[in-house]
Amino acid sequence: MPNAMKLTVSHAPFLHDGSEVSTKQYNIIAATLIAVIAGLLQYGIPALGVLTLSVGSAMAWELLMNLLTRRPVSIGDGNAALIGLLFAMLLPAVVPWWLVVTGTFVAVVIGKQIYGGIGGNPFNPVVVAYAILMISWPMFLDFNAALVDYQFDFTAGSPLVLYKAYGTAGLESFSLGGLLLGQQAGGIGATFGLGLIIGGIYLILRGFIRWEIAVSFLAGIFITALCFNLYNPEVYAGPGFHLLTGFTLIGAFFLATEDSSSPVHFIPMLVYGLLGGFLTVMIRNLGAHIDGVIYAILIINLVNPIIDKIRPKAMKRVMHHA
Amino acid sequence: MKRQFFGIATPKLKYDVIEDVQPEPVSVQPKQRVTLFIEKAYDRADKALIKKGDAVARGQRLQLFAEDPAAYAICPVPGVISEISPFIGMMEKQMTAVVIDTESDREDDRDTAFKEVSGTPSIEDAARFLGRVPGKPDFTQFTDADRMVKTIAVLGADQDLQTITGQYIIKTGISSVKTGIDILRKITGVQNIVLVVAQYQVQVAGTAAAGVRSVDAYYPSAHPEMIIRHLLAEQAEQGQIGFLTAEAVAGIGEAYNTGELPLEKRITVVKKDGTRQLVTAPVGTHAADILDAVNEQVENGDRLIMGGPMTGDAVYSLEHPVEPDTDAIIVQDKEMIVAGTDTPCTNCGECVRICPANIPVNELVRLLDAGEYEKAAEQAALFSCIECGLCAYACESRIPIFQFIRLAKHAVKRMRAAEEANA
Repeated sequence: MPNAMKLTVSHAPFLHDGSEVSTKQYNIIAATLIAVIAGLLQYGIPALGVLTLSVGSAMAWELLMNLLTRRPVSIGDGNAALIGLLFAMLLPAVVPWWLVVTGTFVAVVIGKQIYGGIGGNPFNPVVVAYAILMISWPMFLDFNAALVDYQFDFTAGSPLVLYKAYGTAGLESFSLGGLLLGQQAGGIGATFGLGLIIGGIYLILRGFIRWEIAVSFLAGIFITALCFNLYNPEVYAGPGFHLLTGFTLIGAFFLATEDSSSPVHFIPMLVYGLLGGFLTVMIRNLGAHIDGVIYAILIINLVNPIIDKIRPKAMKRVMHHA
Repeated sequence: MKRQFFGIATPKLKYDVIEDVQPEPVSVQPKQRVTLFIEKAYDRADKALIKKGDAVARGQRLQLFAEDPAAYAICPVPGVISEISPFIGMMEKQMTAVVIDTESDREDDRDTAFKEVSGTPSIEDAARFLGRVPGKPDFTQFTDADRMVKTIAVLGADQDLQTITGQYIIKTGISSVKTGIDILRKITGVQNIVLVVAQYQVQVAGTAAAGVRSVDAYYPSAHPEMIIRHLLAEQAEQGQIGFLTAEAVAGIGEAYNTGELPLEKRITVVKKDGTRQLVTAPVGTHAADILDAVNEQVENGDRLIMGGPMTGDAVYSLEHPVEPDTDAIIVQDKEMIVAGTDTPCTNCGECVRICPANIPVNELVRLLDAGEYEKAAEQAALFSCIECGLCAYACESRIPIFQFIRLAKHAVKRMRAAEEANA
């Protein structure tokens, strides 16, 4: 029929809630900012250098991979920037530039792009990168060594290192309030617990991360640490210490909750989080490593596809359809 | 319909509710021609019982081929057949489009074939004449030997969002619904008939001499599958529940009351600005005529939807006709259209949480993306899908999941049919 009118034809549904991948990524970036700014105030210009290099190089790797694999340019969705930002938040303020660039290469290229980009990665790219760097160049990621030139008005030793070396005896100079407010040596954006908690709660309320994972991760740490602590309070620190040190809070709110590598069903989310928390404390208390969060998250990422099979049965249909 | 600022709880979509003082529907008549669809491929033009140039009367039954009495349409206006052509609908559905040029000077030309049999209601006559009344009752569910329908659910609650057609029927036509229910009892032998309505209409529905069940205000609670699951679970054995819309039942009532086939379809028109207008128009009226009558301008790039916003079909032409089950016509401004993307699934899980059928949509969409349709049917509950469209509504990556699912179901059904044919 002669009809000049061209209507838009598409498939149902014709309503959409307006959500977008980029909205989520930018909101997560925004939620990190309190902790990041606190880190910048504490560590100054070197930290800013690490942050900007990390974000910039992560986006550059993403763009490069987009061009190499001839796929649509995806740096606009904010995911690469978020990976760079989270990676920098885990790093000490003073690290060699090439370590940052290598780290973002591992994160973006090996952690994400070779699986086909966003949504395809079985592991959290940031965690993969940090784990590989931790194995390859442990000396640069030792907070005590990296931050040796800083003058702090609190105990300069990283609390988890002291804990590993001296047990609870090494922790007398730390107060939980101080730890919450970031009075500890650690990653650029990983020490200001209060900021991470506020950011995490913001993301939970907005529905950008799944509360089940964050809460159960923290619950796993709390319960496991409490058990150890009750068993032998002389040797094992209490749950408050474990919750506020190392990468616990950034892990619970920003790393374990990464969409692609975490479960979506209710019970699996709880299992995933609890297991992560449990493993974290096990590694810290019994393992050889100083902080268990990175390895714990890698392991729960690994088991995620299996535990996500625990799900309600799909509705059985009883109708005939003509 | 946007995402709430706080997103901790799963979003809920509320059905629209008819206003207390509903303005009278605008009555629209087709301007020059109507188009009717017959659900049968037009593959043997020489054998067709209807031909171009045939004069047809109001209410006349237009059967396409002699051997298939189920493939017919009811002519809504007197006129002359000007074109018969094949038409392909959604999912390769083979149909025949019959275009009839209206002749207003024959206004009173009414076919009387139904009137002659209307004194003694029977299921055969109902299937023969009433299968295309507005609301499109499916009588095959009562004649199918495999099915023993023991309960009929009459759907008075609207199936889709933004639509108030069903509620309007309950509000203004409950006496016809009652007549229809009485006749249904007689012709089908099914005594247990329940009327399913929105909560606020329970009282008015109570006058219809049937059991009344109410559905809550949130989509897709009025979907037949959800009704089976939540309201009629005790009777939910294989195929024992039949469904008819309230409009169809009212139409059956009217038909036997007056001896004339009801031809006027009630339609909710939703304009670009979101305002709503009830319209009555004969089945077959083109969307263009209806939109003219309510002063709605459609421009290049806009979207015209026949049916509701979650499950309707976007059509490519303003000449698309109202079908017997078109409850709504929606026009969306091009600025309002959210386009799909080819962003992969990020596994955010919104679809899984919103799915009323508990389908692991995140897994399903990966299998479908890879073309693993059989696997999707076996492992990811493809056929549990009730086609409500909520997954695609909530999808952050804006993947057209609903389309994937329909395509996959279609492909699997076709494959299985082919396997059976070869076995």
